[in-house]
Amino acid sequence: MKKNSCLILDKIKIHISSKSIAFTAGIYVTTCLLCALLRNLGNDNNYVSMIFILSIFMTARFTDGYWYGIIASLVGVLTVNYFFTFPFFAFNFTLAGYPLTILFMLAVSIATSALTTQTKQSEQIKMEVEKEKTRSNLLRAVSHDLRTPLTSILGAISVMIENDGSLTGKERMELLCGAQDDAQWLIRVVENLLAVTRIDEESRAKIIKAPEAAEEIVSEVVAKFKKRFPDQNLQVKVPDELLLIPMDAILIEQVLMNLLENAVIHGKGEDCIQLSVTLKGNKAAFEVRDNGAGIDPEKLPKIFDGYLNRATEDESDSKRNMGIGLSVCNTIIRAHGGKMYAANNLDGGASFRFELNMMENEHG
Amino acid sequence: MDNKYTVLIVEDEKGIGNFINTILTSNGYGVLRALDGMTAMMMITSHCPDLIILDLGLPDTDGTKIIRSVREWSQIPIVVVSARSHEKDKVEALDLGADDYVAKPFGSAELLARIRTALRHAALSRETPGMPVTGLFKSGELTVDYNKRRVYIAGTDARLTQNEYKIVVLLSRYAGRVLTYDFVIKSIWGPNFKGDNQILRVNMANIRRKIEKNPADPQYIYTETGVGYRMAEET
Repeated sequence: MKKNSCLILDKIKIHISSKSIAFTAGIYVTTCLLCALLRNLGNDNNYVSMIFILSIFMTARFTDGYWYGIIASLVGVLTVNYFFTFPFFAFNFTLAGYPLTILFMLAVSIATSALTTQTKQSEQIKMEVEKEKTRSNLLRAVSHDLRTPLTSILGAISVMIENDGSLTGKERMELLCGAQDDAQWLIRVVENLLAVTRIDEESRAKIIKAPEAAEEIVSEVVAKFKKRFPDQNLQVKVPDELLLIPMDAILIEQVLMNLLENAVIHGKGEDCIQLSVTLKGNKAAFEVRDNGAGIDPEKLPKIFDGYLNRATEDESDSKRNMGIGLSVCNTIIRAHGGKMYAANNLDGGASFRFELNMMENEHG
Repeated sequence: MDNKYTVLIVEDEKGIGNFINTILTSNGYGVLRALDGMTAMMMITSHCPDLIILDLGLPDTDGTKIIRSVREWSQIPIVVVSARSHEKDKVEALDLGADDYVAKPFGSAELLARIRTALRHAALSRETPGMPVTGLFKSGELTVDYNKRRVYIAGTDARLTQNEYKIVVLLSRYAGRVLTYDFVIKSIWGPNFKGDNQILRVNMANIRRKIEKNPADPQYIYTETGVGYRMAEET
């Protein structure tokens, strides 16, 4: 209902845009000049209304809404009457077939505008369908990611409840550790989902940024990471100068955490992870580098959007896939106006890098 | 234990309440429970617990209202439990007078550490209210000498400026507790200071470079993004 009334309003409303106004005026002036030129060349006046109809058609086709076309046809009729029909440089509304000409021009303009508007609407609908598809893909994939660990947690707990007397301490501990692992993984998925909902769906630019010190963000991530992976060898480096970067701190922390965890979970054989921040011109570059097995070169080009486009059913039974982590990272960085890169290192292992713009004014 | 601390758990989620209850009883605390704000207020006034664990999202009242009304008449330490992504709620709760917070999801070690710190600070401020700070604060290789007004790292003077020293002293007095940006700024630059957190950030960056081995992996002063700073406990 609301959508329909919006569309109707859309038709009636004048879309005031300098582009459309300039286009309409430009076409009009060109048409007038063309007609004047042809008349000076000595041709007779029959083509004049043809040229004006063409110009009205063009105006209606390439402007938004109906009004530019209608205005162009009215002005066109008056112009033809005033300049290009006898008596020249005077209005004469008693010409035979005059009302018909006006109606004809109006009809051309309205029909063309309607066609144009329709095309634009169907494009929009197509885009919305695309968006809906992405969303349902994400939902399906996420639900799967949630179901697998939940099943195993539930399983472990029911085993313990049903066999309370007969389990040995060691068995009990194994079940509990498994459940703890899965719960931790679930938290990670949910944190990522929450991160995505922090980004306004409709306008990606609308995250709330505040200047944050790079080293504070990094140090908090490192502290959390060490709590989860106390034995992991992690080297951290930030520049000597204080880097203040406008960002949504929670989201950037989420990105760094995802990258570090990915390095641990997927960097097969790694024994050292490096997290560094460097200053490059007016950008701060964050990098997470491991010395593990690296990334399959075939997967590399699509690594950030692989999750949304993958065939959802077949490969996702192993829950330790890349998860939504990297797609979320990419979305977050893009929303910050930055860019994310993944590459294999020459000396082995993978590195993930993203760059954020620094504060524009030092005093800011 | 004949004289154990009594902790009031205000939490509407039974599962979380049960789990906190188990942690506390197995660590020798007495436990009271309230499922909503009304009961909580009644229990606080009638039982006078030693500490309150407060979930901000309660069915009947806003948790911040409880903090406000308790602080009108009592300094009972309050530890707030909140979801991680709600920095604003945390800051508001802390500025209203809550002592500390734990972010969901949290582990038992973290919760117990927060409770111990809050109880210790409460005892300290009861025994020595308004006493000038004297003596030493030690954590790892960091020493704050309140008498000489100097900060040492592994025995060498860290050469802090006046304001940097004041910040370190403030954090060390509340070691183990998170202090909000606002609280630190008001304590150092006065209540009428107008401006953003930038000046504090710059000072913290300088302090970090003077006392930490690696500013990106600090041992003494931790950042809690969007909330404030926390100094490591005395060792």
